[in-house]
Amino acid sequence: MRAGFVVTEVLNGFRRNITMTIAMILTTAISLGLLGGGLIIARMTDQMRDVYGDKVEVTIYLTPDQSAQDPDCRASPCTDINKQLQANTDVETIDYESQAAAYERYKQQFAGQPELLEIGTPEALSASFHVKLFDPQRYRVIAEQFDGKPGVQSVADQSAFLDRLFSLLNGIRNATIIIALIQALAALLLISNMVQIAAYTRRTETSIMRLVGASRWRTQLPFMIEAVTAGIIGAGLAILGLIGAKFLFVDKALGPVIRSGILPDIDGATLVWVSPILIAIGAGLAAVSAYVTLRLYVRL
Amino acid sequence: MDRLHSAVVIHSSHVTKSYKTSTRPALEDVTIDVEKGEFAFLIGPSGSGKSTFLRLLLREDVPTSGDLEVGGADLVHLRRSKVAAHRRRLGCVFQDFRLLTNKTAAQNVGFALEVIGRSRASIKQVVPEVLEMVGLDGKASRLPNELSGGEQQRVAIARAFASRPLLLLADEPTGNLDPDTSADIMLLLERINRTGTTVVMATHDNAIVDSMRRRVIELQLGKVVRDEARGVYGVGR
Ligand SMILES: Nc1ncnc2c1ncn2[C@@H]1O[C@H](COP(=O)(O)OP(=O)(O)OP(=O)(O)O)[C@@H](O)[C@H]1O
Ligand SMILES: [Mg+2]
Repeated sequence: MRAGFVVTEVLNGFRRNITMTIAMILTTAISLGLLGGGLIIARMTDQMRDVYGDKVEVTIYLTPDQSAQDPDCRASPCTDINKQLQANTDVETIDYESQAAAYERYKQQFAGQPELLEIGTPEALSASFHVKLFDPQRYRVIAEQFDGKPGVQSVADQSAFLDRLFSLLNGIRNATIIIALIQALAALLLISNMVQIAAYTRRTETSIMRLVGASRWRTQLPFMIEAVTAGIIGAGLAILGLIGAKFLFVDKALGPVIRSGILPDIDGATLVWVSPILIAIGAGLAAVSAYVTLRLYVRL
Repeated sequence: MDRLHSAVVIHSSHVTKSYKTSTRPALEDVTIDVEKGEFAFLIGPSGSGKSTFLRLLLREDVPTSGDLEVGGADLVHLRRSKVAAHRRRLGCVFQDFRLLTNKTAAQNVGFALEVIGRSRASIKQVVPEVLEMVGLDGKASRLPNELSGGEQQRVAIARAFASRPLLLLADEPTGNLDPDTSADIMLLLERINRTGTTVVMATHDNAIVDSMRRRVIELQLGKVVRDEARGVYGVGR
């Protein structure tokens, strides 16, 4: 079959059905854009899990009294805590931070913010044990072991914060994907409608094709190619939309959070990863919807 | 039925076609054979079933009962996927020409060859040949609305004949044309018939039937009432 022949037919088809085609392309683009957003969030969450997995630590804050009386952890109960941590097989490393060291770190962290530096004093901070676990998920064991022990103020766990961050991200991902699915349903119906209208406007042409002996497959092919082309154009727009969203919105609004390392950057690789997925889904969605419509609703 | 089977192009045996919406069958017990190379007129009053019979031959519809074979293919049991292949062996011409209005004469003929999978080279060669044969050389790049009715029908005939069909079906091909133009079209169909192509033509045009002196199959209310080898349209009409 001649490619040029089919291309001409498809372009003619688009022209004749232009408003419907535009509606269908835009709906597909929105659906795939949202889906792409959802996929990117899911991938980001995975990357974050990997990145944070190594860094997550449990912090055992000592009471202010304890912090001030035994700054170098020479006596009980500080040494007891240290011994118990060393005895715990879940623990990988233990790092004692005195009140003074904590204050140093505080000063560094807020170097640019004199208001905060003013209100912070060494006495307001606690000495602490920074405990890294072989398996960060086991933080609860440590929390149970040391919570309420003499000299212990509180046991803080970064993974609690991360859990909240992840559940927020998962929520956004799920919402995005649900909206994407609803949009995909709309896109599916629009594709079906587009194919039906196209088949109707070209019924003379297709009936003549059938009359001269064109196979059903050959008669349906231009409609399939038309729908798939529209689907791919929709996917292309969705990808452009995601690139635009990255530079115009995400990078601007979340720039500081990304630079500080809390959220990973949406880099080129992520967009390159998501693009073929969206194109395949756009083309597949259109092909399936067009095929089913041609089989069930159109007599060619 | 022990004649040379390969010479029979149309074999219709007790074919009946009833439509659900009407009480009387459109065709009833039609038994005719048409042999290779024949030219047969299908005549009869309006509603007698001429178009219905041609539609059955084209496999646009299936007989309600009876046997119907075209070129050895059993049309009653023909699988849907084989319909296209069946039609490629036929050519058909209609009263309303049925040309693609957005394509030129040459494109209309080429399109028909294209959809049945002919190569570009063969299309390039065949299209000018058939257009010349029907007397349209020089008008190849005209759109249908730039051609007269007779010329449009020539394009349709060129399209039907381009693939050298086994059987050419014509449903009132002169129905929209004046007598002179009709006569030209008949000359063309005769020429095509002389190449060995079997032609079956439904018509109301008694002058044409009377002048050609070919086989005449007359239908009335769906039944064959007359089948003469060298017939005329009818006495007293
Ligand atoms: N799709 C259909 N559904 C129901 N009845 C039909 C259908 N097609 C044809 N008929 C009926 O079948 C009968 C034969 O119709 P047909 O078109 O074959 O007649 P014809 O001989 O070609 O007539 P004309 O000379 O007017 O073209 C008519 O009574 C017609 O009403
Ligand atoms: Mg008729």
